[in-house]
Amino acid sequence: MELWLLGSKSVLLLFIGYMLYGTPHDESFRPAYMLVLLTYTCLSFGIPPLRRIRHASLALSALSAALGVYGALELHPLFLLLAVPNLYEAASGLGAANWQSAVAMAAAALLLPAGDRPLYALAAALCFMLYVSTCRLHARLALREEERDKLQDDARRLTRALADNEEYARQSEYTIKLEERGRLSQQIHDEIGHSMAGALIQMEAARRLLDTNRAKAEELLGNAIVISKEGLERIRLTLKQSKPPAEQLGIGRLQLFVDELSAKHDIRATLNYAGDLDTITQLQWRIIQANVTEAVTNSLKYGGAESIAVEVLVLNKFVKAVVRDDGRGADKVVKGLGIVGMEERAASEGGTIIVDGSRGFSVTTLLPVRAGS
Amino acid sequence: MNIIEIGGLTKKFGDFAAVDNMSLTLKEGEIFGFLGANGAGKSTTISMIASLLRPTKGEIKFLGKNIAKHAHFAKMNIGIVPQDLAIYEDMTAFENVKFFAGLYGFRGSELKARVEEALSFVGLGDKQKELPKNFSGGMKRRLNIACAIAHRPKLIIMDEPTVGIDPHSRNYILQSVKELNRMGCTILYTSHYMEEVEEICTRIAIVDHGKIIADGTKEQLKAIITDSKEIWIDVKSVEGLNQERLKEIRGVLSVRIEEQRLKIQSRAEIANLNDIVQQLIRDGMEIRAVEEQAPNLETVFLTLTGRNLRD
Repeated sequence: MELWLLGSKSVLLLFIGYMLYGTPHDESFRPAYMLVLLTYTCLSFGIPPLRRIRHASLALSALSAALGVYGALELHPLFLLLAVPNLYEAASGLGAANWQSAVAMAAAALLLPAGDRPLYALAAALCFMLYVSTCRLHARLALREEERDKLQDDARRLTRALADNEEYARQSEYTIKLEERGRLSQQIHDEIGHSMAGALIQMEAARRLLDTNRAKAEELLGNAIVISKEGLERIRLTLKQSKPPAEQLGIGRLQLFVDELSAKHDIRATLNYAGDLDTITQLQWRIIQANVTEAVTNSLKYGGAESIAVEVLVLNKFVKAVVRDDGRGADKVVKGLGIVGMEERAASEGGTIIVDGSRGFSVTTLLPVRAGS
Repeated sequence: MNIIEIGGLTKKFGDFAAVDNMSLTLKEGEIFGFLGANGAGKSTTISMIASLLRPTKGEIKFLGKNIAKHAHFAKMNIGIVPQDLAIYEDMTAFENVKFFAGLYGFRGSELKARVEEALSFVGLGDKQKELPKNFSGGMKRRLNIACAIAHRPKLIIMDEPTVGIDPHSRNYILQSVKELNRMGCTILYTSHYMEEVEEICTRIAIVDHGKIIADGTKEQLKAIITDSKEIWIDVKSVEGLNQERLKEIRGVLSVRIEEQRLKIQSRAEIANLNDIVQQLIRDGMEIRAVEEQAPNLETVFLTLTGRNLRD
C-alpha cells in the first residue's frame, strides 16, 4: 500500500514540478516552490519507515497535507494537489470511512480558484480510487495472513495429534504383543509345563525304583513317555493355533497397504480379490506384496493417476496380482531397475510379469499355483 | 525331436524390448500356434527364426544347429508365409512360384514339377498363367503360401496368413495347413484369431509384450483358468427335481437352482451332458434350453493379460 501511495505522490510531485518549472512563472517564487517540494518529499517519504509508530506517521501525514494547503494558499494553487494523498492517508490513520475522506476532499476544493478545480477534482478522484483499491487489497492481504496463520495453527495441531496417534498406535501394538506373549507363556505353562513337570516326577521316581522295583520303574517310565507325547502334541497344537493362516496375513497386509495409500496420498485406491487365497504360499505373498508396492510407487511417481486398483485373483493354475492405474501410461515401456526387480522376483517362483502402458499403466504378476499348496 | 529350440531370445529396438527373454521349443510334426494381440512380438520372433532379423541376445537352434552359424541350412529348410503379401502382381502365378523356388537352387524339370505341385496344393493349378492382380484377396494369400512351400521345407512359418480374406478362402487355407502337417511339415502359425488357433494347433503359446505368458495344449491353457464348466438348463418347473441323483453323475461338482434355472458345475474334461439330460427327463423335467459355458482361449488370454486379443 505504501508503495502505491509513494508512487502517486511521486507522480503528483513530477506533475507539479513540470507545471511550475516547465511553464513561465514569476521567478521570485522559484526558491520557495523548491523548498515546498523538497520539504514535502522529506516529510512524505519519511512516513513508510515510521509506519509502526502510529502517531509519528499520522503527524507526518498531517504536516505534509498542511504543507500542501500552505503552498496552495501562499504560493500556487497547484500545491493543493500534494495535500490530497496525505489527507487520505491521515483520514485512513484516524479510522475515517471512505465517504468521509471523499467529502473532505470535495470541501478542500473550495479553497481553490474555480479554474483549478477540474484539475483538482481529477487528482482527487484518481487518488480516491487508488486509495480505495489499495485499502481493499490491504484488507484482503490481512485476511489471507489471518487465514494462513490459522492454517499453520491447524497444521501444527494436526501434526501433534498425528504424532500422538502414532505413539498411541505403537503403544497399542506393543501392548498387544505383550498380551499375546503373556497368553502364549500362560498357555505353555498351563498345558505344557504341567505335563512336562508330571513326566519329570515320574522319571525321577522311576530312577529311584530302578534297582529295587524294576517293574514299577518301567511302569512309571511308560507313564512319563505317554505324558511327554501328549505334551509334544499340545506344543504342536498350540503353535498351530497361534500361527495365523498365510492368506489372512497376506491379504491383511495388502489391505492395510491399500488403505494407507488412500489415506496418505491424494489418490483413490481399491483392493479386490477372488478365488481360493489359501493356495497362495507365504513366499508368493511376499512376492505379490513386493511387486504391488513397487508398481504402486511407480504409479505415484510417474503415472499422474487419480486411482489405483489392486487385484488378486487365484485361478486354477495361476495366481494373478494386478496393479492398474488410470494415469498417462506409456506407448513403449522401457524396463528400469524396478521392473527388472519385479521380473526377477516373479521368475524366482517360476512366474512372469506383464507390463502394459496402453490404457493407464498396469503391472500383472503371474505366479504358478504350487501343487499341494 | 525338437525342430526349433529358442533360449533367452531378446530383440531390442533402442531401449524397447519387442521380444523379451523368450524361451521356446517346437517339436517336429507340431502345428504350433503363436497367439497374441497385435504388437505382442510374434512377427519379430518369427523374423528372427527365419534369419531376417538378428537377435539382440539369445540363441535359436534349428534341428540342433545354431541358425546364426548355419543360416543356409536353416533357410533351405524353412518356408515363410509373411503377413504382407510377397508376390509380384505383374508376373503370372507360375512365374511367381518359379521365381521363389528358383532362389533355393531348383532348375529345369524339377523346378517346374515343384511349382506345379505347390500351385495345385493351394488350389491354383488352373490359374497358373493368370496375373495375381486379377486374383481375389484369398487367391493372393494362397499364392503367397505356394511361394513358401515349393521348396518342401521342414518348417513352415505362417504369419497371420488369413488376414483380410473371405471365410471360404480362410477355410481352404486352414485345411491346407492341416494337410501340410499330415505330409510331415511342422507349422509355426501366428494369429490373433483365437478360433483358428483353437481349431488347427496342437500346441499353443500365449504371447504378450514379447514374452510367453503360458503354453500348452488348448485344454491345458483352458485349465489355467478353471478345470470346471457350467451347464445352465432351463426347465418348466423344478418341482420333483432330485438334486442328489444329479450330483451322483460322474464329473458333477455342484447343483444349484437359480430362478427356475439349473446351474450345474462340472469337471471340464468329462462329457456328461447326455447323462445329466437323461436324468432330468427321468425325473419328469421339461427341458426348454441347455447352455454349456466353458472358458475359451479368448477368455484365457483376457484373464491372464487383462486385454482382448483384438486390442
